[in-house]
Amino acid sequence: MGFIATTVDIILNSLVLGGVLLIVSVGLNIIYGLNRVMNLAHGSLYALGAFAGYTIVAVGANYFIALLLAPIVVGVVGLVIERILIRPMRQRHMIYTLILTYGLMFVMDGLLKYFWGVETRFIHLPEFMRQTVSLGPVSYPVFRLVILIGIAAVVAALMLLLGRTRLGINMRAASDIPEMVSSCGINVRGVQISAFVLGCMLAGTAGVLAGPLFTVFPDMGHEMLISSFVVVVIGGLGSLRGAIVAALLVGFVQTLAEFFITDLAMVMVYMLMALILVFKPLGILGEGKFE
Amino acid sequence: MNSVETQAPGGVIIKTVTGSLTGKLIMLAVFVILAILPFVLPDKFWIRQVNQIMIYALLAMSLDVLLGYTGLLSFMHNAYLGIGAYITGLFLIHVAPESLWLAMAVGAVCTTLIALPVGWVQVRTGGLAFALLTLAFGMMFYTVAWKWYDVTGGDDGLMGLPQPDITLFGLKLASSGDSTAMYMFTLAILVMCFLFTWRVIHSPLGAVLEAIRENEQRAAFVGINVRAYKLIGWMLACGLAGIAGSVYILFRGYTGPGVMGAFEGAGVLMMVLLGGMGTLWGPLIGAAIFIIMKDQLSSFTEDWEIFVGIIVILLVLFLPRGVAGLPDLFRRGKAE
Repeated sequence: MGFIATTVDIILNSLVLGGVLLIVSVGLNIIYGLNRVMNLAHGSLYALGAFAGYTIVAVGANYFIALLLAPIVVGVVGLVIERILIRPMRQRHMIYTLILTYGLMFVMDGLLKYFWGVETRFIHLPEFMRQTVSLGPVSYPVFRLVILIGIAAVVAALMLLLGRTRLGINMRAASDIPEMVSSCGINVRGVQISAFVLGCMLAGTAGVLAGPLFTVFPDMGHEMLISSFVVVVIGGLGSLRGAIVAALLVGFVQTLAEFFITDLAMVMVYMLMALILVFKPLGILGEGKFE
Repeated sequence: MNSVETQAPGGVIIKTVTGSLTGKLIMLAVFVILAILPFVLPDKFWIRQVNQIMIYALLAMSLDVLLGYTGLLSFMHNAYLGIGAYITGLFLIHVAPESLWLAMAVGAVCTTLIALPVGWVQVRTGGLAFALLTLAFGMMFYTVAWKWYDVTGGDDGLMGLPQPDITLFGLKLASSGDSTAMYMFTLAILVMCFLFTWRVIHSPLGAVLEAIRENEQRAAFVGINVRAYKLIGWMLACGLAGIAGSVYILFRGYTGPGVMGAFEGAGVLMMVLLGGMGTLWGPLIGAAIFIIMKDQLSSFTEDWEIFVGIIVILLVLFLPRGVAGLPDLFRRGKAE
């Protein structure tokens, strides 16, 4: 493979990885921005999305139908979690919510293993996605391109939702001054709940998108959770634009590191994070920029 | 409960509550029982079981310094136990197979030194990011222990560990291979670390840490260098975890990367929660409850993971102060 082909390959791969990270981390940040809850079960929701997608495809449906249905499944689970577990925690110290969702993560991972077993699963893709296409000098798998387009579509939809719809505008306002929004007669609690569900759905979407990329296994959420923490901390807690910048950066560094040193690639990512935090302790774009 | 005024560094007067008499009495009773136990217990299995509990009790206590007194959350405190164990083990294998105390000192000091830059980065961020970073850095150490095959032995772990003699001022007391001797050694270390930590927590330094836990902003306003003290708390906790690690590897004669995993970390967190954070003696009892419960549960179910999670959730929801909060619960009839 020539130099240009390798470069194109690396760029595309880092965009795909960065894109998946982006969707997961933005979901995490939307939940945090409105609920002040850092959901440690987010990685498990991502894994749940992937498994739901796997089952929907295994039952006989098309991959694209799974892409629509699985996030809804995860969203419903998210709603149940919010109603039962997060609601009593709203008045308590943040540390308790962290520990609670950490416990939830183990419950969910255990349940995934219980229902689906520990073996690795492969999402069955439609025929055309299993081929490769030549882009100039490099031949690239079609499914990766489709996933890339899917990621772009999700990000565009999210921007439309936050920028153009009433719910999105309420969300952005409530992340800033919930009391003010509440005194305008808007049901802030409702907005917070929908933000929680939206964040969970994003995790589920990322799971279905990432399923064909990294295969599906019960602990797939762990690595993604840690990576999305790195993204969230680098970008600034609760900052959506920060998460986007940081996700692409982490995706790029990780892909590069995996290409050159393979085994200890994640260590490079942690080093990058440490380096950024030395100069920008609150992240690249600072904390809480919900826009 | 009696309260005294202490002079904190920086000339700040802070009111602090010294340890309650009940706590002291409970601790004294626990340590006496522990000292008698190896002569009463029927066989070696139980001696080793209690020995393991004491090592984890030390780890849980060190996490309590961070969680209960400084108000900082570390998800993977076991990573520092792992680091202490690996360094002690490597020192015993490659440098000096006979010197137990030196190996332990090297283990504890190196763990603290490794924790220094990590802590320095962590305290620069806020409280929440601190917690997330402990998970990220913990996973990093886990990955290194798992993948750096040439040094750590990768998946196989560190093997072929010599069993140095337990000595005191040059006098040979016993071999660390003997389970009763190892038990007494662990107990001695635990008691020493407990008294040391108790002293630190009830010193002006401890008062400053508690002030930071209660209100970081106000602590900063009265002239406390919040970041520096958080870092001190962090390093104290990690150093103690390192000591726990060096006892751990002497006790097990082996260590693998598994001990540094995220799931083990949750276990340590749960020991603190079970016992009650901010009490110092609570986590010791929490460790005992946790390890016995884990053994019982894992003998009849494979999905131990689910149960750990459920118990953590129930604890946070209904018993946030753990076993230590039970007396208050009965006295006042409510949780908080």
